[in-house]
Amino acid sequence: MTMFSKLEYLWLTLLAIVLFNTLLGENVESTALVSILVALTVMYKGLIVIDHFMELKDANKYLRRMMRIYFIFFPSLIILSAFF
Amino acid sequence: MDPSPINSSLGIFPSSWSEKRAGRIPGNIPIWVGILSELTEFGIFFVAYFVAKYHYPDAFSQGPQSLSTITGVANTIVLISSSYFMAKAMANIRKNNLKGCEKFLWLAFFSGCLYLCFKTWEFHWNDVQGFSTNTSPFFTVYYYMTFNHFLHVGWAACAILWVIFRLRKGAYSAENNTGMEALAVYWHMIDLMWILIFPLLYVLR
Repeated sequence: MTMFSKLEYLWLTLLAIVLFNTLLGENVESTALVSILVALTVMYKGLIVIDHFMELKDANKYLRRMMRIYFIFFPSLIILSAFF
Repeated sequence: MDPSPINSSLGIFPSSWSEKRAGRIPGNIPIWVGILSELTEFGIFFVAYFVAKYHYPDAFSQGPQSLSTITGVANTIVLISSSYFMAKAMANIRKNNLKGCEKFLWLAFFSGCLYLCFKTWEFHWNDVQGFSTNTSPFFTVYYYMTFNHFLHVGWAACAILWVIFRLRKGAYSAENNTGMEALAVYWHMIDLMWILIFPLLYVLR
């Protein structure tokens, strides 16, 4: 039996991304690059939760598609807002 | 379970629709109607955020620096952990490990309560600093989004208590856990919304 399952690794990955984003926001001068990095990591976090915590990866394809589009659309607006 | 009675009684799906073809629905259809409604509601908030940020760039640049970042980070860690605990509760019920399932449900519940405590403290701290809904467009959006999210965590935490009560009554097992799974996907949706709210309000300048 392994101590860590996939869920534990995903949980730690999500926590690491939170800390990374916070460090970026606190220590790096706000630039378009920071916004893009934050948007991409938010997108990644959302897709992890959708696929593995909500378990939509092997579930209803329409629900999964809707949820993924939502989590691609709004982080994309973060990127867009960095340029306007 | 055969989904055909649902199809014929509600009549909302085309006859060609089948769960086998489209894939399993985690939880049940009513909870997904609720989830998609909530996502629409939060989607409107997010659009309002971007529109307001476009019109008031200075307020949205200074706003995040006025907030307690450490509380925002703590709440993010707590909510992501609560989602993990909920996923572990589901993993345990599928193995018919009722004790393990209850333990993780309590952990998810206490995480939710911790979030509510942190958030209450943050609202109080803002108040002491002199920030309110009228301080700037940033704070108007901040209070709309976070107070709404606060309410969602509150009633979903109450739902966890109900599921624990039902679990103790023997309502859930490895074969029958649809109700618990419905709560789990709703709880994850609340976590997802915070994953978007956190960078918008606390990180991006």
